[in-house]
Amino acid sequence: MTISGIEPAPAGLADVEPLGPGEVVHALAPRQLFWRRFRKDKVAMVSGIIILVEIAIAFLAPVIVKVLGLPGPQVQNPNLTNAFGSPLGPSFSHPFGVDQLGRDVLTRTIYGARVSLTVGIVGTLVATLIGVTVGMLAGYYKGSVDTFFSRVIDVVLSIPPLLLALGIAASCSVKACAGGTIQPGVQTVIFLIALITWPYQARIVRGLVLSLREREFIEASHAFGASNSRIMFREILPNIAAPVIVYATLQIPLNILIEAALSFLGIGIRPPTISWGQMIASATPIFNTAWWYMVFPGVALLITVLAFNLLGDGLRDALNPRYAR
Amino acid sequence: MLSRKAIAGLIGAVLIAAVVAACGSSEEKGSSTTPKGEGLTESGGFKTPATESLTSGKKGGKLVVLQETEFEHLDPGISYYNLDYPVVFATQRPLYSYKPNEEAESTPDLAAGPPEISSDNKTVTVKLKEGIKFSPPVNREVTSEDVKYAFERGKNPNVANPYEEAYFAAVEGMPAAKGGPIKGIETPNKHTIVFHLTEPKGQIVADALVLPLSAPVPKEYAAKYDKNSPSNYASYEVATGPYMIKNNSEGKVLGVGYFPGKSLTLVRNPNWVASSDYRPAYLNEINYKIGGTVTVGEKEALQGTNIIDQERPPQTIVQEAAEHYKEQLQISPGAGDHYIAVNNKVGPFKNADLRRALWAALDREEMDKVRGGKLVTTVQTHFLYPGIGGFEQAGGLKGPAGIPYNENPQGNMALAEKYMKEGGYPTGKYSGETITVVGARGAPASEDAEIVNSTLQKLGFQTKLSLPESSIAYSKYCNVPKEEITVCPSVGWIADFDDPQTVLNVTFNGKFIPPVGNVNWSQANNPKTNEMMDKAESIQGKSARASAWAKIDEELVKEANAIPFDWDKQANVEGTQVLGVGQLWNSGEWDLSFTSLK
Repeated sequence: MTISGIEPAPAGLADVEPLGPGEVVHALAPRQLFWRRFRKDKVAMVSGIIILVEIAIAFLAPVIVKVLGLPGPQVQNPNLTNAFGSPLGPSFSHPFGVDQLGRDVLTRTIYGARVSLTVGIVGTLVATLIGVTVGMLAGYYKGSVDTFFSRVIDVVLSIPPLLLALGIAASCSVKACAGGTIQPGVQTVIFLIALITWPYQARIVRGLVLSLREREFIEASHAFGASNSRIMFREILPNIAAPVIVYATLQIPLNILIEAALSFLGIGIRPPTISWGQMIASATPIFNTAWWYMVFPGVALLITVLAFNLLGDGLRDALNPRYAR
Repeated sequence: MLSRKAIAGLIGAVLIAAVVAACGSSEEKGSSTTPKGEGLTESGGFKTPATESLTSGKKGGKLVVLQETEFEHLDPGISYYNLDYPVVFATQRPLYSYKPNEEAESTPDLAAGPPEISSDNKTVTVKLKEGIKFSPPVNREVTSEDVKYAFERGKNPNVANPYEEAYFAAVEGMPAAKGGPIKGIETPNKHTIVFHLTEPKGQIVADALVLPLSAPVPKEYAAKYDKNSPSNYASYEVATGPYMIKNNSEGKVLGVGYFPGKSLTLVRNPNWVASSDYRPAYLNEINYKIGGTVTVGEKEALQGTNIIDQERPPQTIVQEAAEHYKEQLQISPGAGDHYIAVNNKVGPFKNADLRRALWAALDREEMDKVRGGKLVTTVQTHFLYPGIGGFEQAGGLKGPAGIPYNENPQGNMALAEKYMKEGGYPTGKYSGETITVVGARGAPASEDAEIVNSTLQKLGFQTKLSLPESSIAYSKYCNVPKEEITVCPSVGWIADFDDPQTVLNVTFNGKFIPPVGNVNWSQANNPKTNEMMDKAESIQGKSARASAWAKIDEELVKEANAIPFDWDKQANVEGTQVLGVGQLWNSGEWDLSFTSLK
């Protein structure tokens, strides 16, 4: 039975001690709350550390290779292949073995991190930039602007990405095309990835903005005479940052896999630039005699993709505590 | 996104695969077999078409042939592809053909004897065997009119034979012909055909009669199909050889014995008379399975019984066969060559010294090693290859004497820098604009391209290396002069028949640089060699022709118009119960008329 006018304490809080005189509760900033939650997620923390280590390895690749006493990534040594031209396997001097040209697989795996991470991260950044801009404009202005951008998104999404990649690669893989805008190599791959993936970001952002623009704090901003750009960038953007960051983090591994797939199909990174996908593609015909050439870059790719995925999961949990795993 | 459980499962699967692969590898390392083959015609102790018995087969049985690539053309008037030839030469009888163990001396096939070349080298007369009949539904005797029609339809735009212009252009009226009568082809009686020439090129015309274009085609039967564009005679073609593509009563083979991309069935030709032919035709039936992947097909052949694979096996399969299936591996020498095309017309390689520098710097042994090593390659030192007339005269294995950049197959950077200096680069390194290198994707061409790219960079070149899909690399770039590709690292050639002209003329004569489909990849256009080639085209007699073309070969080496690196020897594999006989003249492809079952 309750006494009229007195609300019962919520379950679980009934035994909370009331504050004493002079006691103060320190409110935590969202960033502090995020960090407190995130650091409790050991898997995400380890993943984050792995990614930082990989970035460091990619950045310091020449130094690491030198310190380990390994040959450079393009150093060919035909003496390290047998009479049939098959590469020799792991040894003390070449822990990951060598490839068909006698190049050290460990060195190339280390250098391969550069391209895979660059393409994954830069491709995601570009796609996110385009996706957030388009999504925000469409969701905020609604009406004809929304209709226009939504149809553009529909058109882009209706293009088969692999066929598009094959077409662009066929046209631009030897000489630059579109007036030199699309250069063969890493640039082409980043362009392709951004082109393929931005609509997904745009759709998510559009949905979030459509919901946020009806909220009271936005109406209050309008009432105070804030400009549209101020509302978009100062009011809405911070409120959609968390899902955008989470989505982008989960998009990075997908983009790394897209790069690997494009390179595997021979339409991605071109030699002598090294990427894991390209290494795996080169290793495929000789897998039955040189397993190491496929396995080591494959494991590197797997660990990277896994780490980004688990980091993304951790970020999602930390930024959105209501999300039940 | 993948769930954590799924990701964990994926890791497990990869690790298991790695362990399994590692175990497999240690087992293979236990074998000590290594290729012993060295030299040009050596096969490392393996079977070779040059020595296989042509008469010890057993009659009967069905053979399964795996071929991952689709046929290009089975019409004898169009066929120009080494994988088409085993079927074409099992079903058709050109005037002349090669026995499987021959690549120099042709044997009269439909012809009754050797061609008669007039003393002025301007008339070639061939007499035909009597009593040879077309397969059903035509069923009549072959006459010289059928051979004449074969040549006429070759010029029909609906048929468009790819080599008639190159080898038979000297036949009077041939260049202008469009499918109708050709003035220079005469049939004085049912069993004689005479070719009248406007130029003294009787020898090359006579030699070219081994090509499938000279196989007879019955006009009254084929003409209606040849009116279609393109001709669909192949869907109804009749045979003169020991086998025919399985057909129905109307002669239709498409959808009866041939299902493109799936299968082809050869059965015995009931009108074939064994006594008129040198082919034993042991097998009763041959079933082609088309499609799949080469590696899987080759493995299937190695582990199967009455089965062969017509494709060139990848390097890993060659190694596996050499180590574990020695009796089932055939090595065929004289299977063409590979060289680097360097643009003689535009860019830095207009300068002959820079071409010589690249030749000197290149590690040709490394280039060959990625193609499978000494068992299937020999370091190339000039352009005529083993088995082709003029090879020995041009220096044989060592190549022309007195060419310093040709002496060290492992490359000599000091010598290369000397040539760079002589070419106008005092530091020994190139310092000009970036050059374009276009290779083909996939082993071993991509590995060759990377070696060439690395060598160019050692010489100071800034390069843009591209490895598009093979057909794009050639059809869109390397075969198109206006694209001005500087280096195509891996182009190859195989002779149409045993005459040095077929190796050097269209590939290095400046008069053959069409805007598309160009195979003078280096765009070599040296007035001196052009003139030598024009003269050599008219020389009569195999020996004299060999000498003349050997001199041209030497000149090409001196000018370094291209950089040769590999004389090919082709591997082929067969099942345990197959007594395969390869075609020495056709890259060792299995000869269906001589292959039998044990």
